[in-house]
Amino acid sequence: MKTKLIAVAAIATTLTMGLSGCGSSSSSSSSSGSGGTIASKMIFGGPPEFKTRVDGIPGLEKNYGVTFGKYTVTDTGGPVTVNALKRGQVDAVDLFTTDPAIAANDFVILEDPKANFAAQNIVPIVSKDKATPGVRQVLNGIQSKLTTDGLGKMIGEVANAKKDPADVAKGWLTDNSLDTTGSSAKGVSLTVGSANFPENVILANIYAEALKAQGASIQTKLNIGSREKYYPALEKGSLDLFPEYTGTILTYIDKNATATSPADVYAALTKALPANLVALDQADAQDSDAVVVTKATAAKYGLKTIADLAKKG
Amino acid sequence: MAPGGALVIGDVVGWLTDPAHWQSTPFDTGILGQLGAHVWFCLIALVIALVISLPLGLWIGHTGKATWLVTVANAVRALPTVGVLVLLVVIIAPNFYGRTNAGYLIPTEIVLVLLAVPPILSNAYAGVQNVSPAVRDAAFGMGMTGPQVLLRVELPNALPLIFSGFRSATLQVIATATIASYVTLGGLGRFIYDGLAQQDYPQMISGGLLVAALALAADLLLALAQRYTVSRGITGRAGRQAGSDSRVAVLNEELASETA
Amino acid sequence: MIRPLDSASSSPLHFFGYFLDHRSEDLGWLWDHTWLSVVPVVVGLALALPLGWLARRYQWIYPPMMSITGLLYTIPSIALFVLIPPVLGMDPLNPLQVPIALSLYSTALLVRVVADGLGAVSEETVQAATALGYRPVGRFFRVELPIAVPVITAGLRVAIVANVSIVAVAGTIGMDNLGRLFDQGFTLSVSQPYYPPIVLGIVLCVLLALVLDLLVVLVSRMLTPWRRAVPS
Repeated sequence: MKTKLIAVAAIATTLTMGLSGCGSSSSSSSSSGSGGTIASKMIFGGPPEFKTRVDGIPGLEKNYGVTFGKYTVTDTGGPVTVNALKRGQVDAVDLFTTDPAIAANDFVILEDPKANFAAQNIVPIVSKDKATPGVRQVLNGIQSKLTTDGLGKMIGEVANAKKDPADVAKGWLTDNSLDTTGSSAKGVSLTVGSANFPENVILANIYAEALKAQGASIQTKLNIGSREKYYPALEKGSLDLFPEYTGTILTYIDKNATATSPADVYAALTKALPANLVALDQADAQDSDAVVVTKATAAKYGLKTIADLAKKG
Repeated sequence: MAPGGALVIGDVVGWLTDPAHWQSTPFDTGILGQLGAHVWFCLIALVIALVISLPLGLWIGHTGKATWLVTVANAVRALPTVGVLVLLVVIIAPNFYGRTNAGYLIPTEIVLVLLAVPPILSNAYAGVQNVSPAVRDAAFGMGMTGPQVLLRVELPNALPLIFSGFRSATLQVIATATIASYVTLGGLGRFIYDGLAQQDYPQMISGGLLVAALALAADLLLALAQRYTVSRGITGRAGRQAGSDSRVAVLNEELASETA
Repeated sequence: MIRPLDSASSSPLHFFGYFLDHRSEDLGWLWDHTWLSVVPVVVGLALALPLGWLARRYQWIYPPMMSITGLLYTIPSIALFVLIPPVLGMDPLNPLQVPIALSLYSTALLVRVVADGLGAVSEETVQAATALGYRPVGRFFRVELPIAVPVITAGLRVAIVANVSIVAVAGTIGMDNLGRLFDQGFTLSVSQPYYPPIVLGIVLCVLLALVLDLLVVLVSRMLTPWRRAVPS
């Protein structure tokens, strides 16, 4: 009896050792080719899809000749990415430009002179038959007042002060005197949707509240998971209005899109949208991807633009 | 956009048989690497859970003391695993700096241990409890001391149930280790979460299949170990009602507490 | 502690204030979570009763059926959520994949329980019922099944408590239920831990598990009045 137990224990131990060896060997793969550039010594952290996206790792390699030493999957501009950078688990990350954590932690956004990241201006996508002149007027009025800074401030109120996105939206409308009641959207009923991150929820709330004040009857379906889920709903008409980002929605519809400047992206988007959807005015406000490092890293290597990462370090 | 069934099966086979997916690069950890990591997470948790709960379960069963511990352990099952994981990550992760994933590994291991303890503990307890008083009396009558009775009589008799509990724990741990990927750790769950994010459904499904295959392989291995360690005298008598399935033991335990 | 009901506080104890501030959303998720946990168990029981009866009635079916159901149970939940859509030709993000996956688990678990519960009915009882003139179907519903209720109840309790925990896992792949609270708490924990939604999610899940468990016990008591008459 005892010997049998010992035998099992021995097998288990051997297995443990063998497999642990295997596990550690895979995690200690470092220092690969690309001859001693700054980037080759760095670990990059970002969402899984950034590894394969056109403007992700392949784009950085094509446009700047930047190849990182290693890639660690974190999350989509969320707490894991921020904390991995802050605590030195990784050296450079993919974050969104409106993220209040960038300023809060003195992170540095590396400039993107070759426009690897396409323009990401905020744009409402609406069902054509709901886009009455009144609805267009209300939404375009909002679009003309949306700025990147203003957006960043609102996200900060949700992310740091833990305010409700709906309250933050109402506050912004009041501050910009856009909360006037009227009847320009009277008789239109719309279902407003949003993705599941604070910024998008705030934007959807802003659209919804303003239209409601102008007499539209509004339903909301906020925090819908991913684009594969909500875009078909928009196409089929179970959603009528959605806050989108010009670059992302363009590449979602047309995988081969090459436009990068705000005007080009917007022009390409208006052509690419199906006949039953329409893009209203794009805002000045942008929320695009960016390569972000800590202040210390930027100082250590003298980093200003993404191109600097390809220098010898 | 929704992939048709046949197409997907072909794509999944293609994904799994692509040698590039098996090897690791600095950018992508391959199937072998993630399998190693997955097994490693599970082994740590199972060994810790076994060290804690097996002696404790045997002791409770032998002495009949502190049986409330078994009730508490079973109540732990009502905790939502993901929630506890997120809570622990939020508490523990900020304390680690530098090139380490300890901030995520430690919470994951705690959650896996929490999952593995109840089945092992309650089955070890039930196994010893179920030893018939006549057998126990006979052992004492032969002049055995308390610890001798526990190790030479009660433990061998309880082995089938202990194995059931351990197999149940192993399955749950292997399955749950996939959510480690939700908090950025490696393991086979990486393929499921990454496939979802990259809209690469063959990768996602392959990940699911690999986890199921690992669970089956582990259960088979334990079934073999059980066959070679459990005394033939016991399997002959108790085999039928103790059963080879882990959940029956758990059920028996629940039933015992429910009818009590 | 100065403003105990202010949800802007990130203390773990302020989960109740958080709940009050987000009542409609949280209650919606609680409802989603409840039906996602309960419906699969009901479906599972409805499927397991005939299957378990078959496994008892025709002894040769028992071993292969138990192997198949045991095999099903080894598939991890997250993998099953992912595998079901292509197998059924559904959209990969169709929310129905969650109740379907859970129904499979519940069936797998309950088939064995029903079969073993029926198996525990003594031969004398079956013979006595037959002698009283019960046909097989009537005997099943009026004699064998009622006697098996305690064993089946134990199985239902395990299934329903496990479901509450598994449903939350689906929250991490974007399905609506209490698991979303964990996702939400996590996304808001960038600069420092934001406990209220996380703690609220745990509290609601545990309460839901306990209430559902209690309900199963109560229903079982109602179905077996004779067990109360005889002190055990």
